Amino acid sequence: MEKYLAFVTIDKWTLIFTWANLLILFLLMKKLFFKPIKNILKQREDEINSLYDKANSSSEKAEKLKQEYENRLNEAANEANNIVGEAVKNAEARKSAIIDDAKKEAKGIIDKASREIEQEKNAAVSEIKTDISSLAVDIAKKVIEKDLKKEDHEKMIDDIISKMGE
Amino acid sequence: MERAIVLAASAVGAGLAMIAGIGPGIGQGYAAGKAAEAVGRQPEAKGDITSTMLFGCAVAESTGIYGLVVAMILLFANPLIGKL
Amino acid sequence: MNIEVNGPKIVFTIPIFGGINVTETVVNSWYIMAFIVIMSIYLTHGLRVKKPSKKQVVAEKLYLMIHNLVTDVMGKKFENFVPYIGALFTLSILGSLSSLLGMRPLTADLSTTLGWALITFMMVQITNIRTNGFLGYLKSFTQPVALLTPLNLISEVANPISMAFRHFGNVASGVVITSLVYSALAALSNFVLGFIPNDFIKSIPIFQVGLPAILSIYFDLFTSFLQAYIISMLTMVFVSSAAE
Repeated sequence: MEKYLAFVTIDKWTLIFTWANLLILFLLMKKLFFKPIKNILKQREDEINSLYDKANSSSEKAEKLKQEYENRLNEAANEANNIVGEAVKNAEARKSAIIDDAKKEAKGIIDKASREIEQEKNAAVSEIKTDISSLAVDIAKKVIEKDLKKEDHEKMIDDIISKMGE
Repeated sequence: MERAIVLAASAVGAGLAMIAGIGPGIGQGYAAGKAAEAVGRQPEAKGDITSTMLFGCAVAESTGIYGLVVAMILLFANPLIGKL
Repeated sequence: MNIEVNGPKIVFTIPIFGGINVTETVVNSWYIMAFIVIMSIYLTHGLRVKKPSKKQVVAEKLYLMIHNLVTDVMGKKFENFVPYIGALFTLSILGSLSSLLGMRPLTADLSTTLGWALITFMMVQITNIRTNGFLGYLKSFTQPVALLTPLNLISEVANPISMAFRHFGNVASGVVITSLVYSALAALSNFVLGFIPNDFIKSIPIFQVGLPAILSIYFDLFTSFLQAYIISMLTMVFVSSAAE
């Protein structure tokens, strides 16, 4: 004989069983379902966060490295410019020095040459003077056949020479 | 004889108790109409409107359910027969 | 013809305390709990942080659904309510849906739904006392005027009763209507096949095959989801409003 409870009834043992069942199910589900999934979601979140952090820090690092390399490149370019500039300056200086030297030397040579020419000329002039004077004296002796006083001779000769020199 | 009268009166009572179904019927129809209006005005909020309407309908249904429970008590778990 | 609409069958009786009746409801709830526990173990077996398997995706989706529902309705500070609401929702929905397998639904027993409603009631009172202090809790019944105290008390007590009857009534009406339809269809089969003198053919319930399934889609599927949603929702709303 199967026994039934009434259709609408409040059975105290069923009530107690209901409470116990719900409590047990709550604890079991909390332990077996909600906690593991919560943990796994938390872990994933942490991992994603750490990945983001890592990505951020590495991109920052890359940025820094890039900056550094750029700086270095700039420095190198500056240095190269400096070196080239200095070399150019040096070359310029040497060039002008060489030119100066050359000019000076050339001037010296010219000076010397003109001095020599002057000397030669002077020497030639004085030689010619003496030659002429003696020649003139000889000629005059021969022409007038008489001895003039020495002073008059010289005076006359000088006059002649200076007139000739003009 | 007494038992027959109680049973008959219980059956009539169960029927009368189900008159309580009118109220929730009107109320839920009104709520559904308003929800339809709201969906017409804001079709993008359809999900929210539907869940709110169902929730409201189910709460409004309580009175009808009380009537139903009374009817079921009278029909299937009649406490009056035991008093004979 | 006799239409029987019975309460839960008494499966066995434990002979202590004057006989503890273990009804069909309780036994069915054990089956359902076992199913839930096995499913939980299956779904959470081999969880991985990277490259989740399909079942893990399903499990996470379920978790997030319940979690988001609770945190949306109750706010972040009631996050520890998630497992309770999850357990209540799952037990309620599977308890009602078990009628699809021909078991008696748990929630077609007033004791079950009243038990759940009373837990909610106790939670509300405890949350209220914890938030407002005991004096504040007592004082909250005299709001807005002291004259309304009896009405406030009645409305406070009416909450769990209304919750219990609502859930019970919805599922039980499904049970009643389904059994009425079954017996009506049996009578119809009997009427149609009654002229056949063979007892075996006469007893084939031809009309009971397809029709009740359509009814049970409304009474079991729709009602189960809705009532499970509503009892969890009401629990959350009552508790979180008691914390204000």
